[in-house]
Amino acid sequence: MNRVVLTGMGAVSACGLGSDALWAAVVDGQSGVRPVNFSNISNQRVGQAAALSSETLEALGEELAHRMRDPVAVYAVRAAREAVAQAGLEADDFGETCGVIIGSGFGGAKTLDDNYMAFGVESKMRLDPMAIPKIMNNASASWVSIEFGATGPLYAPSSACSSGSQAIGLAYQMLKAGAIERCLAGGSEACLVGGVFRVWELLRVMTADKNRPFSKDRNGMTLGEGAGIVVLETLDSAKARGANILCELVGYGTNSDAGDLLRPNPERASACMQAALRDAGLNPSDVGYVNTHGTGTVANDVTEVCALRAVFGEDLGGVRVSSTKPVHGHALGAAGAIECVVAVQALRHQMAPPTINFNEVDPKIGLDPVANSACAFDSRAVMSNSLAFGGINASLIVARFDG
Amino acid sequence: MVSKNSDLSQNLLELVAREGMVDISEIKPENRLEDLDIQSADFVMILMALEEEYGVYISVDNELSDVETVQDLLNLAQAKIEEHQKETNA
Repeated sequence: MNRVVLTGMGAVSACGLGSDALWAAVVDGQSGVRPVNFSNISNQRVGQAAALSSETLEALGEELAHRMRDPVAVYAVRAAREAVAQAGLEADDFGETCGVIIGSGFGGAKTLDDNYMAFGVESKMRLDPMAIPKIMNNASASWVSIEFGATGPLYAPSSACSSGSQAIGLAYQMLKAGAIERCLAGGSEACLVGGVFRVWELLRVMTADKNRPFSKDRNGMTLGEGAGIVVLETLDSAKARGANILCELVGYGTNSDAGDLLRPNPERASACMQAALRDAGLNPSDVGYVNTHGTGTVANDVTEVCALRAVFGEDLGGVRVSSTKPVHGHALGAAGAIECVVAVQALRHQMAPPTINFNEVDPKIGLDPVANSACAFDSRAVMSNSLAFGGINASLIVARFDG
Repeated sequence: MVSKNSDLSQNLLELVAREGMVDISEIKPENRLEDLDIQSADFVMILMALEEEYGVYISVDNELSDVETVQDLLNLAQAKIEEHQKETNA
């Protein structure tokens, strides 16, 4: 079995362009949540989301005008370029030995929304002839493969909020097994359009107030958007090209609840984290920080904390726990990938970013997370969790690369 | 005021029955929602109707986590409607 290392990462988020901008925002607790207004929603009930800032949209300007790319693919390509540049990959490093695995929950949501509005409301027959290739869920992965000439296996997992984590986990498993030598993996989401936002309103899991994971006064999640992409390689291939290794990906667990489509199951979530620990050959006490799924809904808070206690012990054994979603929002299919980037940064800085907007320990769960300001730790490993609708759990563990 | 509130209670009760697909004659305020077989999908329908008719947004979260009986739900809806009316009039 190969060891798998991470040599590059990129992010596009409400915190700006780049994994450093994302890290600076989460560690300082600077939220990217801002007011959003959708012209096709009358009486919008929820007024904010972690949308890309006007500066970021301006910086992506020409790319967003691409006639064959929905914003979801633009974000993915942008994050991939950053990851590839950091990894120092050159033209010869791609080809058949390089895979691309990029997930998305909604795919080309803007293209779908725009075209349905034009078709259904305005009865237009002149729609976007490129709508199909822009909407399809694999477009982000395909555009990234085209950008770099990566002709190895390509997958586009669509497992709601676990898409990004499962993409990275699948890449890790393929590298470990020797099916490929390197892979661009992650998730992308550009779901902040009227039609999608309205149906999230109707599901009523979004808060009209601030997003406050684990806090007694939490009242739901806040949507986000963006992309997170990492470059993963076998240790041998990274060494062969003299790459700078950022960390090692040591463990991945994934399972499903096979229970309720929307209500998570704490036993399955803890089994998932335990599977990742087993895969990594680590004890719970080796993990210094967990970046939780932490959506800020009561269902997730109760389930995830219960699962964490089952894995790390009733008192959580000194592991730091937080949710960074109040900063970058819940970016659905990109969430696991954006949070993997946060986990790698946390590991490298030995700093647990805070759960901002936290007011008070909730007696229902009794969790006192890293709240409102960052907290240093000294540990070789960090875990990142995703617990998706559909009952799909995924846990990734990154560790310091010690040679 | 009393009659206005009881009108509202009656309207809300009708709304819960309609959207929860329960015969109104079977609903008493002290009934537990679960005993009336009102499930999470029905909740979402009830909350959608509340938004349509009264303009209030209630997330399926903390606010609902302590709701067990029909009366709990009516109280929450009534409080939210009053809050919303105050905001609208402000």
